[in-house]
Amino acid sequence: MSSVCEIRLDDALGEGESVLALAAEQAIGEVRRIEVAYSRYREDSIVSRINAAAGSHEVVGVDDETASLLNFATQLHALSDGLFDITSGVLRRVWDFKAGRVPQPAQLHGVLPLIGWSQVEWDGQTVRLPRAGMEIDFGGFGKEYAADRAMAVLHATGQRHGYVNLGGDIRVLGPRADGSAWRFGIQHPRQPEATIASVELTEGALATSGDYERYFERGGQRYCHILDPHTGQPVNHWAGVSVTAPACVAAGALSTIAMLKGAQALEFLADHQASGLVVDTAMRIVRIGDTPDHCITQGVSA
Amino acid sequence: MAATDTRLPPRSGKAGAIIAAALSLPGVIVPATALADTAPERGEIAIKYLQYQDSQPDLSRIRVRAPSVYVMVPLSPKWSVEGSWVSDTVSGATPRYHTAVSGATRKMSDKRIAEDVKVTRYEERSSYSLSLSHSGENDYQSNAGGLSASFSSDDNNRTWNVGVGYAADRISSTNDPTLHQRKNTVEFMAGVTQAWTANDLVQVNLTFNRGHGYYSDPYKEPDIRPDKRTQSILLTRWNHHFSEMSSTLKSTYRYYHDNFGINAHTVGAEWVQSVGDRWTVTPELRYYTQGAASFYYDPVYDPVVGAPYPPGYFTNPPQFISPDQRLSAFGAITAGLKVALKLSADWTVDVKAERYEQRGSWRLGGQGSPGLEPFRATFIQFGVSTRF
Repeated sequence: MSSVCEIRLDDALGEGESVLALAAEQAIGEVRRIEVAYSRYREDSIVSRINAAAGSHEVVGVDDETASLLNFATQLHALSDGLFDITSGVLRRVWDFKAGRVPQPAQLHGVLPLIGWSQVEWDGQTVRLPRAGMEIDFGGFGKEYAADRAMAVLHATGQRHGYVNLGGDIRVLGPRADGSAWRFGIQHPRQPEATIASVELTEGALATSGDYERYFERGGQRYCHILDPHTGQPVNHWAGVSVTAPACVAAGALSTIAMLKGAQALEFLADHQASGLVVDTAMRIVRIGDTPDHCITQGVSA
Repeated sequence: MAATDTRLPPRSGKAGAIIAAALSLPGVIVPATALADTAPERGEIAIKYLQYQDSQPDLSRIRVRAPSVYVMVPLSPKWSVEGSWVSDTVSGATPRYHTAVSGATRKMSDKRIAEDVKVTRYEERSSYSLSLSHSGENDYQSNAGGLSASFSSDDNNRTWNVGVGYAADRISSTNDPTLHQRKNTVEFMAGVTQAWTANDLVQVNLTFNRGHGYYSDPYKEPDIRPDKRTQSILLTRWNHHFSEMSSTLKSTYRYYHDNFGINAHTVGAEWVQSVGDRWTVTPELRYYTQGAASFYYDPVYDPVVGAPYPPGYFTNPPQFISPDQRLSAFGAITAGLKVALKLSADWTVDVKAERYEQRGSWRLGGQGSPGLEPFRATFIQFGVSTRF
């Protein structure tokens, strides 16, 4: 994974560094396992096999874990009115964030028919992508899922104090050894080295989606990598959404869907009893949910 | 076994559909149980005061006042030691036979002191405990010891428990200075606890006790019981956590059988309800039903000699016989309420009240023993505990 990954453990029982390192290694092993299993870049991954069969009559049988993730994707698609769609990765073919090129309408219209989870034939055990060129990927929640699973591995090794941070997708194992909370900074959407707020957690998870992770600007307009699967266009209502939830996959999905919801984001987050904060493009912070005051501290710090 | 602990932030109690979907993914939340295998990180002290009063119509009987202290100290990451001390002061009138309302009671006053200590060693995925206990009152001394072990599965979703215990009791009587009797009991226990889902915990325990010695009640006449007793107990528990309501339903079923001929069933339910961040309110209801021991006799007395002897007692004496109400056929209902208040992160106070009533006619699926007055009891317990 091409982002900063961090596992932090507090040695509450005086077990020594080697015991903690062993636990962390097992957790890193779990992250790697998920990365390999669901990589789009490895021909032998389940995702590649499903994508390779797109448009053919072949149905691809999946293992239980993949089935759970596909079911989760189905639920997210339904609960987001189709905004969270694991078939929307085909938009990468026409959006080049490195070159900073806005696709021609004809290009977009070429790929939009390939998007739509509701087209996919998924029966709980086998999956088939009906059109050639369709593809799925778990980029929308894979990293968050890995953070959750890595936390569970740490728990199984007997560790109780620490967290897993995979590029800002954070799952807390438990509080610091003295019982106090971990404090996580939330990146300022326009100042890469600064934070705009901080969140304290003793358990649960924190995930952030923002318009600053991959983007380019053309003609005074910002084009970010969060793309609406219905229009193929980048979102532009919020600069960032940070959500705390019991699990990182939930926090990640809620923050991404909130970005896609635009003006309806606050209503959507309230409906889902989410907690956290959203930052608009003028860098104004709106708190959401019933997060106790001391948990979120606003203020820019470098 | 600790109560259900879903390790979710409090606000997840009203989680939305996306959070619920995420939590159903495999391996995303840690097992619901706070399973064994790690030494507790903090010590605990709890002080309780129990008041017990039982009664039958127009007659207050036994009254118990029992302060107790419990202390648990983690010695190192691998070891913990815990101990408790309780002092019961019992006073009141105890029946000499059956319920015997008509003045045939003995005023008694007694004090019992009991202590126990338990040392536990924690290993990865297992723990081992040695426990010793002593209980003493002027006419009854008991010494017991036990070994137990618990083993967790790799995913911590299942725990096996096994245990063996031994108790040596000495029985005497203030009524009969020549009475010096003993009773020895061996106990075997095995059980399994499974975290079924993130919100369900299921437990099955089997206990088998085998004892020999003096089982008669020296304060009852006539009372002659077998000198061997075997007891088999099946205990099942199911805890279900309703995360959207911040509550847990704890249900139990227990089956008991012994060679005295008693078969008993208990069903119980407790609803543990969090109210805000500080309060926990737990109403509970329990129903118990048992058949009589084979040698229990109803309060029907010899027409010539009279109470407490059953007809024919002197012409054809039975091998075993007892008028003990506890060996009769009856049903009983317990209703209780516990309220706990978390004063701070470390201090908790609680109060618990229970009302128990036992009647022959409440026996399930059959006639209970006739001729016994209803028996009622009230428990009130105050407690304060702190972690350090």
